[in-house]
This record gives sequence, structure tokens and C-alpha cells, in this order.
Amino acid sequence: MEAIKFEKVHFSYEADRETKDVFAEDTRFSLDGVDFSVEEGEFVAVLGHNGSGKSTLARLIDGLLSPTSGKITVLGLDAGEEKSLFDIRKQVGIVFQNPDNQTVATIVEDDIAFGPENIGVPRAEIGERITFALNAVGMSAYRHATTTRLSGGQKQRVAIAGVLALKPKIMILDEATAMLDPRGRKEVIDVVRRLNKEENITVLLITHFPEEALLADRAIVMHKGAIVMEGKPADVLGREEELQKCALTLPKAMKISRALGRFGLDVADSLTESTLAENIEKALRTADSSHIEIPQTRGACTRLKSVSSDGRILCKDLRYVYNSNSPFATFALNGVTVEIPAGEFFGILGHTGSGKSTFVQHLNALIKLPTAEKKYKVKKGKALPQTVLNVGKFDLTDKKTDFKALRLSVGMVFQYPEYQLFAETVFEDVAFGLKNFFEEMTEEETEKAVREAIEAVGLVYEEVKDKSPFDLSGGQKRRVAIAGVIVTKPKILVLDEPAAGLDPLGKEEILSLLHSLHESWCETVIIVSHDMDEIAENCTRVAVFSEGKIVAVGSPKCVFSSAEVINTAGLDVPFTQKTARILKEKGIAFDCDLTLADFVQKTLAFAKTAGAGTYRKQGGGEHA
Amino acid sequence: MRDVSFGQYYPSDSFVHKCDPRTKLLFLIAYIVMIFLAKNFYALGVCALVFVIVAVASKVPFKSLLRSVKAVLFLLAFTAFLNLFFHSGKTVLWQWKFVVITQEAVYFTVFLAVRLFLLVLGSAILTLTTTPVALTDGIESLLSPLKWLKFPVHELALIMSIALRFIPILTEETGRIMNAQKARGADFETGSLFKRVKAIVPILIPLIIGAFRRADELGDAMDARCYSGSKVRTKYKKLTFTWRDLIALLLIVSLIVGIVLLRVYTPWLI
Repeated sequence: MEAIKFEKVHFSYEADRETKDVFAEDTRFSLDGVDFSVEEGEFVAVLGHNGSGKSTLARLIDGLLSPTSGKITVLGLDAGEEKSLFDIRKQVGIVFQNPDNQTVATIVEDDIAFGPENIGVPRAEIGERITFALNAVGMSAYRHATTTRLSGGQKQRVAIAGVLALKPKIMILDEATAMLDPRGRKEVIDVVRRLNKEENITVLLITHFPEEALLADRAIVMHKGAIVMEGKPADVLGREEELQKCALTLPKAMKISRALGRFGLDVADSLTESTLAENIEKALRTADSSHIEIPQTRGACTRLKSVSSDGRILCKDLRYVYNSNSPFATFALNGVTVEIPAGEFFGILGHTGSGKSTFVQHLNALIKLPTAEKKYKVKKGKALPQTVLNVGKFDLTDKKTDFKALRLSVGMVFQYPEYQLFAETVFEDVAFGLKNFFEEMTEEETEKAVREAIEAVGLVYEEVKDKSPFDLSGGQKRRVAIAGVIVTKPKILVLDEPAAGLDPLGKEEILSLLHSLHESWCETVIIVSHDMDEIAENCTRVAVFSEGKIVAVGSPKCVFSSAEVINTAGLDVPFTQKTARILKEKGIAFDCDLTLADFVQKTLAFAKTAGAGTYRKQGGGEHA
Repeated sequence: MRDVSFGQYYPSDSFVHKCDPRTKLLFLIAYIVMIFLAKNFYALGVCALVFVIVAVASKVPFKSLLRSVKAVLFLLAFTAFLNLFFHSGKTVLWQWKFVVITQEAVYFTVFLAVRLFLLVLGSAILTLTTTPVALTDGIESLLSPLKWLKFPVHELALIMSIALRFIPILTEETGRIMNAQKARGADFETGSLFKRVKAIVPILIPLIIGAFRRADELGDAMDARCYSGSKVRTKYKKLTFTWRDLIALLLIVSLIVGIVLLRVYTPWLI
């Protein structure tokens, strides 16, 4: 039976709710004639960039919105009918994007009980349902925990449990993984897959990560409110040109295999690191090395540039204690020593609570260094820690440092910076920093600086300057927020998860924007990230934080190849590193920077020099 | 930031933790009434004794207790301080121009400070030993007679528990927004009053917009989980009175009776 069926569904946020009159001029449809159906027990992935209409789809199924025209049938019930909504909602669970905004109660079990309570399940059974739901998501140990103290992945699993307790037949995940780090994402996806297999729950996974869509039975691609592609994920995700039109990207394995193909090494389309490695192995055996060209690319390390010392950061033995005067004192930073020379595109890795945020907040004195005696309560006779923290030309251990001037030269972009927009127009918001730092600035100068900043983030000045920042799309808002920081041209730019929550294309755009800033006037860029691929692809050097200390500093290549570092910090490794590892086991060993381009180049170089078909001998020799 | 927020629960399985929230609420009300009835230090001493007994039975470390009232201590000191100058009396201890401090004022100030301090500590015990959900359940249950007057008791309780849940989240968000604006050169600490009030705008607006966004999403999430008011609703956690509550209630009653008797027979003491 069909679990969900859409027949010629149109939806517009602008349509008049009463008359449903959509024939007014310029009505923009969020859904424009959508026809599709999902079978019971099926696992369907819905892909699309931000604003493609995929979230509207989820809200329509659950009756949170009702269609402007067309018919939606959910498990035989009409979702457009007010009276069937309760019955539909009993059987359809939605997990939303932001884990914090869908939890009702403070304690895990109370939150999970909320759904069953609403539909009048008897008390004893609610207890059973909570046990079942927590088991299903692997969170039984957290039954009595406080929801705010869980990690993002755990919170989302609790949200799934809250939905499961209603015993739904259909589960919709509306970008439920977008705000999570890769580890949390994997936790959630694993749970969903198991529920689909074992409990036979129909799953509609709305996402913009092509890798997640691979796990589904079927993939649907949405663009501008319509379904533009449909089919087996492996097939859909291989149609590069069509995907590009929808502002989507290929899975990484596919990107690499296609790129290798373009330069003469015929590698079959691959979807995961293991199939990619296998296919490369096969291709190497049969390839004709004379056809292989080696492209000119730049590895990550060539991104360094030589500049003055204004962008240099020197930090020795930095410590920071939370609740310093109580028995709960914890070292957020426990002797951090690092030097970041000017000109780096520096990456900071580490888990939540590893001290990385505390560290970056020191860089522009949002956390000020206290006088040493008071802070560390050093007993007599014991030497004080010799903390050094120099950022550019500022010495932060000196109380007389001009902190305003420091903040002018160190720009800081926080996570989800668009949530800090406040002004009536984009112009005013971007100019906010300027007005704070330079009270005497003339209007022409202000306008010039704002124009430069807005253009630097890739927006058209004349188009956006008078708009309200709240009317922009998600990606545009983020750009405006970044413009508001770079408008004062800081020599050092620190960004906390600059690409979090964006779709793949948005991510690429933000990062290439940062590279172009780095190439022009910004001497040092520091990004904090959870995403190993992002770090490997963009950074010249990385520092890994773990328990208030830096456990490793170096190029992505050397940091990610140290198993010890990766294990102590509990990190994942980038895709390229995973593939390289498997290849090495097969006897195909080469040294590469971990960017996709460099991986492709080195693979081709290997194919050329090792001589197609003969690599086994050499590789084997190395092994022995 | 998260740890200084109001209503922090200190997990434990003490006698007080296991009491029914309704008992604790009633106890707190009785305790507050006692404090306000107290006219001298002897009576306050009795209140303090009651507080110490409950505090010890709650197994909440004294440090956590103090930490949870830290935020209001300033307000308390400030109120007491004002009283020092403005309470009128006869025996002048110290005078400078029109500023007068009298013996009565000193006595009253100390009395008031102790009284307020006991009040705040007592309330802290309640929030430290009761989860917000239990607390709102307790309030809902105590107010349930009002349902007959068509008063939306359930809705009120739900609003309260959601508000409590979002306090730490919004506190954290405030901190983040403040830092972000500070990094863009905003200055909240210096300048005239007008300037400082103006400086709050870049914090307040994103915070309010954010709160609306969250409310919107929460509303959708609640709808999707079949929330439809209180008609068919069941409750997972039932509040039940146990022997502990009986003991606690007996204690309250005997205290109240004791105070009334003392007032009648020895009015000079209480």
C-alpha cells in the first residue's frame, strides 16, 4: 500500500488562507505541482538545496501546512482535511532540524512521554513505550538525564525516541542531521536505518548531504518546488550535470572517480571509500599509462603566503579555569602552547568541550587573561606559569593593551552568525562594526567600506543594501553576517564552524570566499570545525584540541596519519585519508596532501610512474 | 553560564528529593508565612532551625546552595543597605549632615537581611530538589480546583515548564550574541546611561527574533507530536503522597500550631 501519495500538489506561502486564491499576480509556489508516492516500508531520501521546497513537503504530509491545491493522502487519510489530522499525526513522526527547539521537557523520559500523553496512552504503557523508544535509539542509559547536557547527536536521538514513542508508521527527518557534527550525523543515520529495517517504519529522509541519500532505497531530487529527478540513489547521484543545475554536489567518492576518469584513468563510478579503492585498484591493473595526464593543482600547503607579522599568534602555556573558586573548578585550557605564523589558513579541530572555543575567545580578549596571582592561586614558592599570548602586535598578558584596537585587528565570526543580525537594513548591520570602531568616520568612507565588504562576500551591493537582513535566504544572511565582521578588514579572521548548516554548494561558496579574503588582505584565517573533510580540503595546518590541551599541530596530512592523535582526540579522518588507507593495504601507497585535487593528482602520478599493471610488484616489495 | 541559571536541579535521592512536589510547595508556603509572622530574632531562629533541618535532609552541599542564591545576594544587600539610612529611629548612632543612622535602623536592617536571606535559601531548596517538570506538575495539581472556574491550569503549567526549559538555552544564546557584538566593537560597559541602553538593542533584537523562531519551531514540533490541549491527555508521572509527605505535613502543621499557641500565650516572645 502507498504510505504517502501526492497528486498535483501546489503550495504557496503567499496564497490567501481563506479563499486559497493563488491566481493573484506573482504568486511564488513553494511546491509547484508535485506528484509522488512512497510505499509502506520504503526508505526514501529527498535531496535539494536550501529553499527547494523539501521542508514544505514534510510539513504538508503532517498537516502542519495544508495544500493550496491538489490532494495528499497519508495512509489512506486525506491530509487536507482538518478532522483527519490527529489520526495522521499519530502515525507520522517528524524530527526537525534544531534539536533544542523540539524538546518540551528538561528530563529525557519526560520529553519522550509527551507524545503518548497527548494521545491518551495509559500510564503503565507510557513507561513501556519509553523503554522501547530509548532502546531503539540506544539511549537507555540517559533516561533520567537532563536534555540540555546531551551532545547534538544524542539530543536528536532523544527527539527520534520522542517520535517513536507514538509508534508511528512513517518517520520524516526534516534535515535532522544538518546541525550535527559528522559523528552525530552517523549516530542518527544508523538509528534511522535500523528502524527502517527492523521495525519496518517508512522513512522519508530530507537532507542535502548526498552521502546520506546513498543509504536509501530511492532518491528524489527537488528543485524550485518540483521533483526533477527520481530513481536509485546510485543512479541519481551520478548525474553530475543535472545535480549541478539543482545546486547539489556529487558524493566525494564519485567526484574522485570522475576526476580520475577525466585525466585518463578509467575508474568506475564509486559511492563509498571502499568501492572507490577497489575500483582504483582495478583501473590501475588495466590502465594504459600513456593516456594519463597529470593535472597541475596546488596542494593545501601552497596556500601559505608570506606577509608581515601582524597576523602572527604566539601562545605559551595558556590556562583557563571555569568556576575557579569552587570545588567544581575545571580546566578548560590546561597549558596550551602553539604558534600560528602569519599567512596560515589554520584549522582547529576537537570535540565539544575540548577547549577550542575557549581558546579562540582568548584571541580577541572576549575572555581576558586575569592577573596570574589571582587566577591560579599559586602557593608560595611555586613558580607562576609563564603565560605568553601575543596576537599580532598585541601582548594580551599586559593589562594596558588597547583591547578595542585588538578587536579591530582580530575579526571573530561565531557559529550561525546570521542569528546575530539585528539592524533594519543590510547596510546598517554591516556598518555596525565600523561605527563602533571609528566614530569619526565620514559617510563616504563608511559607504565605501560597506560596499567593499558586501561585494567581498559575493553579494550585489545595490541589490541588498536597503533590504532587511531578515528577508534574505539562509546563505545570504550568513554572507551579510560575515560582511559585518570583515568590514573593518581584520588582519586575523577567526571563524567558528563557518559552513555549519549550509547545503554542500553553500559550504563550498563560503570556503572559497574565505580563500579569496585570505589571498587579498586577510593575513591569517583560523577556522574551527568538526568536519574533517573541510579541514583537510582547506587548511595549511591543523591543531587538534583534546581535554584543554593541543595534542598535535601540523599539516592535515601528518595530523591525520597519526593514529594515536586521532584516537586520543576521538576524531574521524577525512574521506581521502580513509581511501588512501585502504589503498595502502592493497599495496598502493603514495604520499598526498589530503585535498581531493591532490589525491587525484597523486593517484594519477602513481598510475603513470608505477606503470599500469606492475604496481603490485613494487607495492608488494614495499610491504615486505 | 549554564550552571548559574535559575532553577538548577541538584540530583540526589534524599528524603526531600523524594517528597511530593505538592508537599514541598505547601511547606515552602508555610515557611514563608512563618518568616513573615516572625517579629523578632527568636522567631527567626525557629525558622532558621527549620531551614537547617530541611537543608541537611536534602543532602544538597552547602556550597551549591549558596551558589544558587549568589545572584540575588546583591539585591538583598542593596535592600538592607537602603534600610540602614531610611529607617527612622530615636537612638542616633552616627550622623553626617542629613545622613542619620539609628540603633533601631541597624537592628531592623540586620533583621530584614536575615529574613530575606532565609526566604531566598528556602526557595532555593525547593528548586534544587525538584525538577522543573515535577514542580509544574505540583503547581498544576494544587491549582486544579480552579479548573471549575474555567481557569486554564494545564496550559499555565505547560507554559511554565517550557519557560523553565528554555532559560538555560536563551541564557547561552544571550552570551553568544553579546560576544559576537563585542567582537564587532560594541561596548556595553562604558558611556552614559542613554548610550548603554542603546547598546542593548543589538543584543535584544536578535534574541527576540531568535525566541520567536524557536517558539515557532517548538509549536510545530508539539503539533506534530499530537498536542491538542488537555482533553484526552494522560499523565506519565503521577504525584503520590507517601509516608515522607505525611511526616513533612505533620511537621508543617505542628509548626503552625506551635506558632499560633506561642502567639496566644507568650506574645512577648514571638
